[in-house]
Amino acid sequence: MVSTSDPVGRSVMKLYLASGLVVAILMMLVGLAMRMSQAQWLSMPPEIFYELLTLHGAGMIIALLICAMGGLWFLMRRRITLSAPLAVAAWALIILGVVGVVISAVFGNYAGLYTFLYPLPFMGNWHGWATGVFLIGMMLINTGWMIWCFQMLGAVFRAYGGLRGAMGWNFVWRPKKFAAAGHKPPPPEAFPALVAGVDGLLTGMAGMLLGIALLVRWIDPRVLIDPLWAKNFTYFYMHAIANLIIYMLAAFIYVGLSYATKREYHTSKVFVIGWWSSLVFILTNYFHHLYMDVSAQPQILQYFGELSSYLTAIPVTAVTVFGALMLVWRSRTRWTLGAVFMYSGLIGWVVGGVGAEIDASVPFNVHLHNTLWVPAHFHTYLLGGCLLFILGWVFLLLESRSEHSTSKLVRWLIFTLSFGGMMVFLSGFYFGGATGVPRRYATQPPPGPLIAQFATIGAIIMLVGFTLAFFEGLRLRSNFSADRMLWPQDLKDKVS
Amino acid sequence: MAAASKLLLMFLFLTAGIGSVFLAVVLSTRHPVEDQTEIHHRGYAIRWKWFLFVTLFLLSAFVSTLPFFPYLPSVTAQGPALRVPVIAQQFTFIMPSHVPLQQRIVFEVTSRDVNHNFGIYNSKGELIAQTQAMPGYVNDLEVTFRKSGRYTVRCLEYCGVGHALMEKEFTVGGY
Repeated sequence: MVSTSDPVGRSVMKLYLASGLVVAILMMLVGLAMRMSQAQWLSMPPEIFYELLTLHGAGMIIALLICAMGGLWFLMRRRITLSAPLAVAAWALIILGVVGVVISAVFGNYAGLYTFLYPLPFMGNWHGWATGVFLIGMMLINTGWMIWCFQMLGAVFRAYGGLRGAMGWNFVWRPKKFAAAGHKPPPPEAFPALVAGVDGLLTGMAGMLLGIALLVRWIDPRVLIDPLWAKNFTYFYMHAIANLIIYMLAAFIYVGLSYATKREYHTSKVFVIGWWSSLVFILTNYFHHLYMDVSAQPQILQYFGELSSYLTAIPVTAVTVFGALMLVWRSRTRWTLGAVFMYSGLIGWVVGGVGAEIDASVPFNVHLHNTLWVPAHFHTYLLGGCLLFILGWVFLLLESRSEHSTSKLVRWLIFTLSFGGMMVFLSGFYFGGATGVPRRYATQPPPGPLIAQFATIGAIIMLVGFTLAFFEGLRLRSNFSADRMLWPQDLKDKVS
Repeated sequence: MAAASKLLLMFLFLTAGIGSVFLAVVLSTRHPVEDQTEIHHRGYAIRWKWFLFVTLFLLSAFVSTLPFFPYLPSVTAQGPALRVPVIAQQFTFIMPSHVPLQQRIVFEVTSRDVNHNFGIYNSKGELIAQTQAMPGYVNDLEVTFRKSGRYTVRCLEYCGVGHALMEKEFTVGGY
């Protein structure tokens, strides 16, 4: 076990968080440029638009994933043995992969998008080598991710008594015997680590298999791949990764929101069962991406996909979010920026989830599939959920060490600009989706451009809010107290 | 009102409800602090009811959507239909420029190169039906046009740099 003053662990977390946030900032600016182009306020040729879209999609997912990996790794290292050099090696592979993706898009004009559906990577108007570099880059990222998962899973198994112990099996089914033996269930944040490890490895292997198949096709064009097989594998992998980010960040809620509310988040039987179900649903709900393959995809999977997508909502709303609301209810929460960001992220998760559930209903999907409704819901939970959890975490860390605090006026300004702008920005996607505007269009049919103009204004306001938050973070950081730990003493004592 | 607009209203209504709950919880922190054990005691009782409500609601939603699934056994069981082949390719659709009114039509949609989508928009710009166009596979999309007029097909699956330009118009009935 490593203490919270662990300087190596902190450095590794900072490495992940800083690099993830830098990529996220750059990709948000890329996103702004694309929205301005759709608003017809910026002239951009379609090939450039789609290169940027490829960068933006892959970049944002990877940026948020890196942040989640670093934060969860640090939280778990407080309790179990995790190798810092291995974590740095995983990070380095991911960054190397990111460099490959950037080279393929910027210098090779690769524009096959983040969800590269076979055979498009081989039938675009970009350089042939760019497809190979992109695929190798994505496989390097996947390798880094799988090393992280492998390390996390191994450490969790060793610390909590194998799969059975880490899952809390005896805690749920044999509670008296478990308590009589003096055992304690794993802490709440160990469950996101377990689920990320298991699901990350399973889907990562599928992603690797897909990558190898595509690389073979790249080397020898005579090799043919079944497009439906490739599509299933692509979404199995991509959807799970995107999903896992927010599930990993749930650990921030369990620890961070507990700190902000001065309460504790306990591992209960309902909590454990909730995570068991998430472990399964994260793997099975990707089928909703193939609803519109009305005859090609086996029908039983369409029915199963809707049921699975619906049931996903139960553990999230009845366990994690409900538990978080109980933490805050009638608590001594001081609404610092860290607490505000952390709590608001929950709203983004739930609202984005509602948008996702509507789209995951087959009869509604007919009207919403691949319209702007799709980026609407995933921007809500990636931007309004994941990014806010990460900002919340960063600010809680800064606030715990800084001698300064943020004034009420600055908090109000940052909150109003960030959330006001974000709501306008996200509304553009929802209204666009409801009016049938297709996604991934460099030039949109009406009323797309008009909606994009409002969305662009919202995005600019939001970015002004984030910029203020950035400078406030720097101010807090410049006034660290030498005798204050990264994390409060009381939490450290409980951990030890 | 178009189906998608109703969905937007439903979404906004639910979002407002969620926002109200979160706001109420925030405002509760202005009241005197309550012991966490006491909150657990009451909260777990509410959570059990909430769990039952969410589970039953979602299962009911699943069952109630089943009759509206667009998959083929229900389509073919309804009798004969005019079968219209559609081939998608970068960046156009090969298909008839006119189809009849008030007749069941099954579009047999496939692709000659990459993945595309066959999304039908009516003259008001509403997306009324769609299916994927995948190389090596045929997706059957059943549509009965109730109104004559000009319709537009758009590709809704990214297929390359000409994706946004990939559309085709066709007419229905005596337009």
